[in-house]
Amino acid sequence: MPSQEDIALMAHLMRRAGFGASRAELEERAAKGYEATVEELLNPGPEPGIDEDELIRYFPQFESSLAPVAAQTEWVYRMINTRWPLQEKMALFWHQLFATGNSKVDNPPELLQQIAMFRREGLTTFPNLLVQLAQNPAMIYWLDNNGNHYGSINENWGRELLELFSMGVGHYSEDDIKEASRAFTGWTIGTKPPRQPVGRFYWSFEFKPEDHDYGEKQFLGHSGNFDGGDIIDIVVKEEDTARFLARHLYNFFVADEPQVPAWNITPPNDLDAIDRLVQAYLDSGADIRSILRALFNSDFFKQARFAHVKSPAELVVSTARLAGNYNGPRTGFPLLAFECGWQGQELMNPPSVESWHTGSEWIDGGALVRRVNFAAKLLSDTSLPGIKAIVAGLKEQGTLSPNEFVNACLDLAGPVEVDEGTHQELLAQAQAGGDITWDSEEAAAESERRTGVMLAMIAATREFQFA
Amino acid sequence: MLTTVAAGRVYDFSHCMGMYSTSGIGFLVPQDFALGSADTLYVLNRGVDEITMRISKCTLNHEFIADIGRAGTGDGQFVWPTSLDLDREENIYVSDENLNRITVMDKDGQFLTKWGAPGSADGELNRPSGIAFDSADNLYVVDSLNNRVQQFTKDGQFLGGWGSAGSGPGQFNQPWGICLDQQGNVYVADWKNDRVQKFSAEGEFLGQFGETPGGVGGLRRPTGVAVDSDGDVYVADWGNHEVKIYEPDGKFIASLVGDAEQPSPWVQDYINANPDVAKARRRTNMEVEWRFRRPIAVNLDAQDRLFVAEAVRHRIQIYTKERNYAEAALNL
Repeated sequence: MPSQEDIALMAHLMRRAGFGASRAELEERAAKGYEATVEELLNPGPEPGIDEDELIRYFPQFESSLAPVAAQTEWVYRMINTRWPLQEKMALFWHQLFATGNSKVDNPPELLQQIAMFRREGLTTFPNLLVQLAQNPAMIYWLDNNGNHYGSINENWGRELLELFSMGVGHYSEDDIKEASRAFTGWTIGTKPPRQPVGRFYWSFEFKPEDHDYGEKQFLGHSGNFDGGDIIDIVVKEEDTARFLARHLYNFFVADEPQVPAWNITPPNDLDAIDRLVQAYLDSGADIRSILRALFNSDFFKQARFAHVKSPAELVVSTARLAGNYNGPRTGFPLLAFECGWQGQELMNPPSVESWHTGSEWIDGGALVRRVNFAAKLLSDTSLPGIKAIVAGLKEQGTLSPNEFVNACLDLAGPVEVDEGTHQELLAQAQAGGDITWDSEEAAAESERRTGVMLAMIAATREFQFA
Repeated sequence: MLTTVAAGRVYDFSHCMGMYSTSGIGFLVPQDFALGSADTLYVLNRGVDEITMRISKCTLNHEFIADIGRAGTGDGQFVWPTSLDLDREENIYVSDENLNRITVMDKDGQFLTKWGAPGSADGELNRPSGIAFDSADNLYVVDSLNNRVQQFTKDGQFLGGWGSAGSGPGQFNQPWGICLDQQGNVYVADWKNDRVQKFSAEGEFLGQFGETPGGVGGLRRPTGVAVDSDGDVYVADWGNHEVKIYEPDGKFIASLVGDAEQPSPWVQDYINANPDVAKARRRTNMEVEWRFRRPIAVNLDAQDRLFVAEAVRHRIQIYTKERNYAEAALNL
């Protein structure tokens, strides 16, 4: 029987490596063990995360619609329903790191192809991922590499590869950018039929030798007839790259860091943790699985509960999973996709290539009200399967004093760990109604109603905003 | 190839209809269709993003007549419309796998009635998909998540049914499309079992269609089926993006892969009105556009012309079955 601490730690892991888990799933995973669960998350079995045929049977628009909301909805469906949550979480991580937006690409199906690539390749190696990224048509269009020609370079991709996707500001020169750009000339997009008026057609990567600069380049102290792959090989061997990726992983999975533009002047909050992730990167040849294994099994990760503000996608998806009413095909997923945008994270449309600012910057007055209202509405609905399960869990415990009631709700809704002030506020509300009892139909109905109210209040706590 | 010659049959690509459109001229994620009198065509559009569901009523001469129905849960509205068929009076019947009901409208789209209730007892429905009338105007309904076929009178009285979950004869795994041949035998696209099963009108298992000796003819998630006047069987092989053709006894004879080289008139009008689209089409190889993408429903008219609806291309490709075809010499 897993201890309460085992459950709390497993809940932490599943909030970060996935999008939260029900109490039943937490107990099942905790019984298997923490490290065994980490391995299972890192190495999905042969069964796919989603039954792709069923997905298209019931949501044919996912391969037919040209609208942004269809692409966003498809992804939200996967985040909620996947059997392999870490794959989807990594897709979200890479999307936030390699931010590509519909504001320019104006082609949601292509952006969805990029997300599918993150899902497919996201746990492999960083060099592989950068090559896939450099050859991803949505990225090529987003950063203008289709306009990067022999004798007439466009530096956009070369610059962002170094500044935002690998090394970070201050570790390369303007000449390195130009030379990298020369190496990526000829990496472009093949033509395809226009998407209208008979539906989607997908771009493909095309290398045009006649448009490639085969001349010698000087890059980060190396010289040779480099092409794009050589540039990536050089970049991924730089410790600055390891450090940059380590900090991104820490910021996403462990605890909020300062915003990325400040990183070249602000040291990491936990330098030892970053050093350990850098070592895992260097030891493994930039193998993402190995780095994540080191991260999830570390003390610094285990001790970082509720140290990360949920992104809108994390908040929406984890709350929907807790409520339990979005399991499998049904209507309503588009509204969840819109909700992410209304809370400030329009999937596949970040504000710029610099991506969203994270941590406390997810929260402003308007966004906070939306976040609280969204979560409170779902968690207060005692007709939903996930909330019914919480009520059943309370009922099993029999009569509960107000203090026991508050603690049991916090436990079954997370466990959510709150500070004393928050606890007192919840307790004051619970005390107004007295003990929770189940010994008559009326008492059970009233206890169920009060549970919905208490869960709505928990959804409104400061702590619920954190993962 | 525009002409497919196989086993004594010749299928010749004729033309295509349709284009992407959220209303009016065009279709949007077609799921099924039916041929009415006077060259009328009723196309059931699933729509996208929980809006834009409708039936497109048009003629085979590409004349748009009306949009029928819309998104919603009210009378004459759809959430997940899945299949469509016409009774003898050309009233329109539509299954809705979200609302677990059959909606009935007249041929002008006037709502007449609805029936069906969710559940698994006799006469109840769990994700109804394919529907087809028999010669007595009773309606067969593929009750997909209950893994069975049920028969109803046209006003919804339960008559009988058969089937259970599994992969043996007479068992189903999330079946989808259905049709009848001229003898009244029933063919069901047994979607997740990758086969089509043939039954007598009373549900006696008669045979199945799928992979045949030589490792050809295998189906992947078939969705629709139709039978011509010779008894040849056409299957919308949704997962393989083909239409597979079988002899009446189940022997596989040919695949069609889509041949819409010539755009539909509606598409051509769109191209003519959008020079950028015309340029984009001229700078690339358009072959991918000719081919089927999610062929989802098949039907035949009285002349054995084959109609194939494609969910992702929002169109219908039409083939003729040539009777007096002299084959061109291979050494030309």
